[in-house]
Amino acid sequence: MSQIAGHLEPYLVLSGMLFAIGSFGFLARRNAISMLMSIEVMLNAVNLAALALGAFIPSLAGQGAAFALLIIAVAAAEATVGLAIVIAIFRNRKTPLVDEYDTMRQ
Amino acid sequence: MLTAETLVEVGTLPGYAPLLLLLPLAGFAFTAAIGRRLGKLAHLVPLGAIIATWALAMSLAIPALTGGLGEAGASMPLFTWIASGDLSFGLGLHVDALTGALLLVVTTVGALVHLYSVGYMSHDDSYWRFFAYLNLFMFSMLLLVLADNLLVVFAAWELVGLSSYLLIGFWYTKTAPGLAAKKAFITNRVGDVGFALGLMGLVVVFGSLDIHTVLAGVEAGALAGPAATVIALLIFCGAVGKSAQFPLHVWLPDAMEGPTPVSALIHAATMVNAGVYLVARMSPLFAASHDAMLIVAAIGIFTAIFAASIAFTQTDIKRVLAFSTLSQLGYMFAALGVGAWIPAIFHLITHGFFKGLLFLGSGSVIHAVNGEQEMTKMGGLWRKIPITYATMLIGTVAIAGLPPLAGFFSKDEILGEAFKFGYVWVWIVGMIVATMTAFYMFRLMGLTFWGKSRVHDESHVHESPWTMTLPLIILAVPSIAIGAALGFPFADGVLVHALEPIFHPASEMLGHEHDAWTLFGIDGLLMLASVTVASIGTVVGVRLFRSDYNEFLGRVTKRLQPLYDGSRNRWYFDDLNDLVFVRFGRKFANALWWFDRRVVDGTVNGVASLTSSGGRGLRQIQTGRVQNYALGIAFGLVAIAAAYLVIAG
Amino acid sequence: MPLPDVIPFIGLGWSDVLFLLLSGVVLAAAFAVVFGRDIIKSGLFLILTLGALAGIYVMLGAAIVAGAQVLVYIGAISVLILFAIMLTQSKVAPMKLAFQTQVAPAALAAILLAVLFGLAFGSTNWGSTVFTDTPAATGTAPVAAALFGPYLLAFEIASVLILAAVIGGLYLAMEPKGDDVGEEAQ
Repeated sequence: MSQIAGHLEPYLVLSGMLFAIGSFGFLARRNAISMLMSIEVMLNAVNLAALALGAFIPSLAGQGAAFALLIIAVAAAEATVGLAIVIAIFRNRKTPLVDEYDTMRQ
Repeated sequence: MLTAETLVEVGTLPGYAPLLLLLPLAGFAFTAAIGRRLGKLAHLVPLGAIIATWALAMSLAIPALTGGLGEAGASMPLFTWIASGDLSFGLGLHVDALTGALLLVVTTVGALVHLYSVGYMSHDDSYWRFFAYLNLFMFSMLLLVLADNLLVVFAAWELVGLSSYLLIGFWYTKTAPGLAAKKAFITNRVGDVGFALGLMGLVVVFGSLDIHTVLAGVEAGALAGPAATVIALLIFCGAVGKSAQFPLHVWLPDAMEGPTPVSALIHAATMVNAGVYLVARMSPLFAASHDAMLIVAAIGIFTAIFAASIAFTQTDIKRVLAFSTLSQLGYMFAALGVGAWIPAIFHLITHGFFKGLLFLGSGSVIHAVNGEQEMTKMGGLWRKIPITYATMLIGTVAIAGLPPLAGFFSKDEILGEAFKFGYVWVWIVGMIVATMTAFYMFRLMGLTFWGKSRVHDESHVHESPWTMTLPLIILAVPSIAIGAALGFPFADGVLVHALEPIFHPASEMLGHEHDAWTLFGIDGLLMLASVTVASIGTVVGVRLFRSDYNEFLGRVTKRLQPLYDGSRNRWYFDDLNDLVFVRFGRKFANALWWFDRRVVDGTVNGVASLTSSGGRGLRQIQTGRVQNYALGIAFGLVAIAAAYLVIAG
Repeated sequence: MPLPDVIPFIGLGWSDVLFLLLSGVVLAAAFAVVFGRDIIKSGLFLILTLGALAGIYVMLGAAIVAGAQVLVYIGAISVLILFAIMLTQSKVAPMKLAFQTQVAPAALAAILLAVLFGLAFGSTNWGSTVFTDTPAATGTAPVAAALFGPYLLAFEIASVLILAAVIGGLYLAMEPKGDDVGEEAQ
């Protein structure tokens, strides 16, 4: 009789913690690529939550997985474009640090 | 006046009536536009306009006074001036016996003053401007007496005040005339506030300012009790200002800074009578309130004795005449206040003529001694300027109230009716003032014409040109005769018959009855009394001043030094005004200015600086860094989600 | 000899232990990604995180997604990230300072988010079934039915999105065109 793996809550707790870690990294890291990696962590947390709900709630049987697949696709596209932008900016600014990208400041 | 009982038809004025207003107005416009270029001929058009106006006015006034226009007079509505919702104010002309009386004085003295000014102002550079202003004034005054709507009267009231301001301050390059003109205007304005409030009250009660409508309403009893008192007193405020009664009398002596023709015309014969005219025209309104009448009489008779006491010690010839005017106006208001309407108007007419004569005569004297106005520098002039002397003597006898000249008739009627209607205190004070009047007028004659000459440069004393002496001679005639012409037989003369229907409703409201005039009864006794006091004043004045400096006078003056000083300084009333309004007012204004600068402007500037510093502070948020904005988004998300959790449970 | 049902001395079943192991790895690696100084090491720890997560997906019975995770996330995206790290190496950038000045507020926001999630998840009645072991494996059929059923539009749009991303990424990362810059340089 599993006490943890058979219940929904642990998976959701894990998902929440992962999301918090990812958002902290997104808001606090200086390197642009680090920010993107943190975004990937956040997206994976969401994936985990969707799959967990899909697995434990009978009426959402296949939908959790479908949702997760779509998120992976979108994450891929987003990572592509985001990294392309970082590389383009790096060419101009010669630095990957986001707190140097402040020409729009007042 | 239309009343319920006597449905008297109001006639129609002949078609040329508006010319009475248009001729002076055209004269003003013409002279103002082209006068400068006409040089010494600038007087031709204005003088011609005024003489024509006089002729037309006489053609209306004489029938009005002799009953030719009917009891209710004649009118001519011209056009509607303001029509707004329920309110409508029109301009129209109305001539009845009261108007006729005013027209008589205004146009006659006006025409003579115009002629006089040709000679008096001949050396002045702004010759043309003087005549332009004179014509403007004539227009305004005629509009005031001819109008049949109180709003037009008010407008003309202000116009007259404006003309007075322009004429007092005619020599505006000097300080004193400018200040005097300002003082006159401001003091008038104070009275006009009350007048305007009174008019507003009338609009509230009657919904119209048409004189017929208002008076018919008052006679029918629509306005009584405290409301009538308040409105009557407010309208009286305007009269107090315009006719220089206490406490708004302060401007008239100072107004002597203007040229002498101005003093004669405006401050003796016409403008200052506007207040008397107003109260007389609104007689039913005043009759409706016993308290208002009492106040009018009190202020009038107080002003009379107040001004007379100051005239005792003045040494400027025009100032003596100014205070004399104040005193005689006080008589007129006292008469109005006790309900003696007809004697008041009678005195208005006679006073207009002999005071005009006296002022023009004084102008001739000043002209003769080359601009000197102080009587201490005159004396012994009777041989040198005989015509002036003779006419001024006639004027003095008239004002002293000695029979059979004009002043006796009118003054005696005022005092007689005051006594008969029961106002004994008015009669007593009036008697005292009559004595004082005779005294100070003969003092004026003595210091100016009799005794040894104290003139600075005797050889140059000369009689005035004919343009100045002719008006004097002409004015001497009514000063002698008009009293008898209009007032004899007593209580039964021309004027009484003419004005009786006009003042009948007011007299009815007061419950005054006219007993028959009895020579050997009360009327004869009163007449004897007034002749006596006038004679006493005359004799004392002549004896004390007919030769030079009098020992007796010197001792009396020293004994009564504080009274003498007080009288010389006009009983310090001007100083009181200065203290309260000028000094205190200036402090108050400064305090308000501080408040405006600090609090009001401070608030406005404070808001502005607060906004700009707030903006400067908020600008710090725009760092240009994406992560800072992302942090903002994260916190926003937290807040919204938390709110949702809390609200949705 | 068959494995005992419950591990002795711990008292937990095998699936529980597996779950705890995998989630521990996930969390530790995630911490390493976020707190790591060296960015290449962060990238590698990201790969570890994603791999452990794939294992958890298998436990949840979604083998397809686990396969997609490994193929796409680890195989493509992480490699892409590493390439980008390589391309944006800069000697100028100080390696010491890894965190922004807004570290504290960021941490606060993260903690608040975690708390909110906890509250939100806890106060909802999911109506979830409790399994004896791990959840049942979902076959391909239900997934395909969902993808080509209610999620068809999302599926198509996702493909268009990927196409747009490819084109956009290519364009953005391209060197500036030769003609204008070249002429100016000469």
